[in-house]
Amino acid sequence: MKLPKGEDKVLGKVGVKKPEALLPRLPQKSPGISHFEKAASAVPGSAGRLRRIEEEDGAGDREPGPGLGAVAEAGFIAPGWFGGEEMDEIIKQSAVIENEHVKKWKRDGGRVVGYICLATPTEIMDAAGLLPYRVRALGNSQTEMADARLSRFNCSFCRSCLQLGLDGTYDFLDGMIETNGCDHLRGMIENWHYAKPFAFLHYLKVPHLADPSSLKYYEEDLRLYKQAIENHFDVTITEAELWNQIQMEDRVREKLKTIYEMRERAEPAFTGAETLSLFLMATAAPAAIREKLLDQAIAERKDHKIRGYKARLLLGGSATDEVDFIQGIESMGGLVVADTLCYGSRAFWPRLNPAKAGDPLQVLAKTYLEELLCPRMFQDFPRRRDYVLAAVERAKADGVILVHNKFCDVHGVDNVAFRLALEKKGIPVLQLEKEYGASADIGRMKTRVQAFLERIGGPQ
Amino acid sequence: MKLSTPTGLFNRLSLQLALLNRLPAPVLDKAGALLLAISPILPAEMASALGTFLAPHARPASLAFIKMTAKWATDARNASRNGKKVLLVPFNFPCELIHAFDSATPLTSEVLSTLAAAVGQGEQYWDMAMGLGLPDHLCSANTIELGSMLGSEDFKPQAIISAAPGGCDVNSKIHEFVAHHLGIPQFFLPKPPDDSGRGRKQYALYLHALIAQLEEFLGEELTEDKLRRVLTKANRCTELYYEIWDLHKAVPCPVPNIFSLLLYGTRFTMWGTDEAIKTLEAMVKVCKERLARKAYPAEKEVARCLWAYTSYYFDFMGFFSWMEERGYTHLGDGLDLCFPSIVDTSSRDTMIEGIAEAAWNMPMTRQVGGESMSRSWTEDVIYAAKELKADCVIYCGHHSCKQTWSVVSILRSELTKRTGLPLLILQGDSWMKRMTPMSVLQQEIDEFVRNVVAKKSLKPRKLKDRRKSQLVSEDNPPAAGSSV
Repeated sequence: MKLPKGEDKVLGKVGVKKPEALLPRLPQKSPGISHFEKAASAVPGSAGRLRRIEEEDGAGDREPGPGLGAVAEAGFIAPGWFGGEEMDEIIKQSAVIENEHVKKWKRDGGRVVGYICLATPTEIMDAAGLLPYRVRALGNSQTEMADARLSRFNCSFCRSCLQLGLDGTYDFLDGMIETNGCDHLRGMIENWHYAKPFAFLHYLKVPHLADPSSLKYYEEDLRLYKQAIENHFDVTITEAELWNQIQMEDRVREKLKTIYEMRERAEPAFTGAETLSLFLMATAAPAAIREKLLDQAIAERKDHKIRGYKARLLLGGSATDEVDFIQGIESMGGLVVADTLCYGSRAFWPRLNPAKAGDPLQVLAKTYLEELLCPRMFQDFPRRRDYVLAAVERAKADGVILVHNKFCDVHGVDNVAFRLALEKKGIPVLQLEKEYGASADIGRMKTRVQAFLERIGGPQ
Repeated sequence: MKLSTPTGLFNRLSLQLALLNRLPAPVLDKAGALLLAISPILPAEMASALGTFLAPHARPASLAFIKMTAKWATDARNASRNGKKVLLVPFNFPCELIHAFDSATPLTSEVLSTLAAAVGQGEQYWDMAMGLGLPDHLCSANTIELGSMLGSEDFKPQAIISAAPGGCDVNSKIHEFVAHHLGIPQFFLPKPPDDSGRGRKQYALYLHALIAQLEEFLGEELTEDKLRRVLTKANRCTELYYEIWDLHKAVPCPVPNIFSLLLYGTRFTMWGTDEAIKTLEAMVKVCKERLARKAYPAEKEVARCLWAYTSYYFDFMGFFSWMEERGYTHLGDGLDLCFPSIVDTSSRDTMIEGIAEAAWNMPMTRQVGGESMSRSWTEDVIYAAKELKADCVIYCGHHSCKQTWSVVSILRSELTKRTGLPLLILQGDSWMKRMTPMSVLQQEIDEFVRNVVAKKSLKPRKLKDRRKSQLVSEDNPPAAGSSV
């Protein structure tokens, strides 16, 4: 469905002016993922090529493809997007891998370094004048090149990322920071580097424990990471610049937290899909732009109120950068008002200490290791459980959806333990195991989410 | 007194093994021969397991192994009566450290699952874990045993030691889940994925911290004398390990296929004990006798197969015999690749350093726990393949091994490039029959040996012939009546 020219803008403004209104979903402002999937299924070949097709055609000018979000088309209740000029632009840019901010950065001679795991202190890259880019797959379901290297027993998110690495979509990266986030991730990077060597690859070794000796080891590893960046990119990272970036990152975290608080309101200002788009944008743009975009989104939505949803949900689990997936849940009436996702709150909830006291690397080590909320920390389940319970309470969630990609061991097991803990507190839980970005899963997901929403009821 | 059949995996196994342990060795030997004699009238599964373990060419070592395992299980069963605590350890943990404590006994979860698979009891416990909603892509090697702890009235250990972090996410998670669910303490020996001296130093720090935690938990100091007592025996085990390694090199291979399992079964349970020494000595004796006689179970050795990671255990160990009968030598698998070192027993520090070295080199930790998951594994496989004169390498494709699955394509490329050896990639669950039936796996191995391994050995001659025939046909047409 293509709206008449200019109508999108009008609707976007309506979204701001009449916050009480429950607006229809704006398909022309879909993040382009559905289109991505649709085009991918129609045209055999690389996602890189598809991305270019998207760019030529103008991303976001098409109706959604067969993603879970497509159920909105069938008349389900809640919207995925409310628009607004700034938000529209953010949503559009967050829906492509190499967004306009990255392109401009590269055109201006900037260098971009990829990372995947939230245990990677990006401040060091920022301080070196690099653009840290969090690798994502945006629901890409084409994995034929990756499948020749990884196996069907590896998580499809990693296979999707590898595919994009091998097919050229990520050719704009000037390097990669690897971590031992999980076995699949390690395998993905090894295969990527084996098939198509990175110009720069540094392995940041993140301990699985956060005891004093591990902290010291990690701090030393951050020093090696800093040195590696300095050596390869021929830059000097000063302590002052590192502090500046720590302060900047802390401001970004504060703004993201503000957005999350606005989402947790009784009448939320953002949908879950919009929030994920904001998060994606905040991890794929130069430092100054990140802050500006978040400020704009906050200003634009400060009085916005979403009503009419069936239930307030918390979404937790494994690497979920599929805006379409959240949009699908919301299109059925379950508004995602909080998350404990790795591409979400867990990446920024711990605040940095920007007091400029002591060694900045020590500050980074403490924040990124001691406060790391990830199931790869095998000693920390009680802390993660408490984090989920606190988020449920804060957001007044009616229910929790715990999702993990098939073969994701760390989240697959953690989700069972979370479910048991949540059910003990009387909080309804839906545990979903899914294939990443697979349209074949849509029907099953839809049925299960619908049944869950019917079960928990929530305010009508 | 009311008697009831135990339902839990450990309770059942330990009872069965305790009965065996009460039999004197000569009686067990005779009973073994008798059982083997009547195996044709026994249920097929039981006959299969007996056939493998009690086959005359393996029996002396198998019986020693059974006695050793019985002692291991009985020690755990009677632990509380003897004032000891049972510590559940993973296979990649050096059990000799626990044997050095007077007040603790180790129980290895994967070995329990393997023994359960050997007597056809695994699946029911797996189902208990699945009943809790745990994902079906967990490792059955752990989940079978831990499923029993979670879902039945089974024995529970007093603590869990996890050495999987850094080497295997899936085992790390199930250990964490079980410890939390049962409310028992969990101790860690994580492996930094760092091959540098810094990584090795950090690993030693983790080991020292673990020892201190265990001392506190057990209320016992790990003294130099205790360590020396165990590590002197561990050193003897190490010597015997290398004797068996060297014996594998002979053609035809004098080492029975099942010895691969017996070797690492010993490494994972009783290393550093008299029983382990007896088992390994029995294995060496069998192999040496066979070497002297040039004995081989089949008519000829058709293929020398190195298994890159685990083998298959779910068909009552019949798989090992099946290979042997067809002339397919099992040169060992990834779990045999632990390359122990002789520990310097001169001081407590040197001995703890020796244990750190042993732990660092345990299978899985050493390979996929390395800085690069593919590099250390590939180097070990290539080294073993060359040393043991393998004709081919087979990867079992245990579905839960996400780390090996994620880099097996690199192993295949490097193996082919550097040695020319073919790699067969199978898919199956090593501990459960539900994923791929044994008949299918056997068929694939047969076809691989027939079509790739056997033909490969003919290849140079064929190429030569082809070149020769081309030469003849293009430049010098053969004279009428002559043969090429």
